[in-house]
Amino acid sequence: MRIDGACHCGFIAIEGEADPKTTTICHCTDCQTMSGGPFRVSVRVPGASLKMTGQPATYVKTTAASGIPRVQAFCPKCGTAIYATSVGDGVQPFYMVRVGILRQRDKLVPTQQIWLRSARPWVGDIAAVPSSELATAL
Amino acid sequence: MRVNGTCHCGAITIEGEVDPETATICHCTDCQTSTGSAFRVSIRAPGATLRMNGRPATYLKTTANSGNPRVQAFCPTCGSPIYSTSPGEHPRPSYTLRVGILRQRDQLVPKRQIWTRSARPWVAHIGDIPHSELSTVPVSEPRR
Repeated sequence: MRIDGACHCGFIAIEGEADPKTTTICHCTDCQTMSGGPFRVSVRVPGASLKMTGQPATYVKTTAASGIPRVQAFCPKCGTAIYATSVGDGVQPFYMVRVGILRQRDKLVPTQQIWLRSARPWVGDIAAVPSSELATAL
Repeated sequence: MRVNGTCHCGAITIEGEVDPETATICHCTDCQTSTGSAFRVSIRAPGATLRMNGRPATYLKTTANSGNPRVQAFCPTCGSPIYSTSPGEHPRPSYTLRVGILRQRDQLVPKRQIWTRSARPWVAHIGDIPHSELSTVPVSEPRR
């Protein structure tokens, strides 16, 4: 499936080919810290299909729950999360693109959740949290 | 309640006083884009209580569903979101801290959800999505 998207300010634009079945929720503590929320949602895009305009900032994270170092890319202007990938020069085999930036996110329904060990306990009962269609004052 | 936390790389540390009753999930499309995820969770800290080490990068977002411009602060080194606040000189009256960076996040259970108009439909049924306690490989090929 063809996907495309941009960071909030538009400095970084990205497109590629994604298999919707790889849409994954990650509850690891690194994703909690780096999203500021309880989890992150990503979809896998082969590096050979990825096109990008703009240069993201990168941060090599060496604390993954899996033990694998990962490059985290974000927009240096607006801070939007773009992708994670393996460490190395040039095009990497795969990029885990952050679903929140993609125009097709309606169609990218997560098929699996990983690192549930550190999931926020309230996430499974989110429907029980009082809600408003629009905004209410904090 | 006293809270403290840091971005992922440790360049920014923050502490302040929050009312846990203000822990809020925001499903607006700006929060979806900025986090790359489905929603964001934040909690309000009065500016008078806030202490911060390090200097976040800021981005003035003018597209809020509410119409209010908001300053979005994030770590320039690792990209972790830190807070949002109103435009103007520091200290602002109030800062909306991102709960994911706080050490006390176990105790900060969201009390409300806003902008559910744009919520991802699967979020309410997240318990139905297959899961693994640890990591699994997304598809058949090995993760590299």
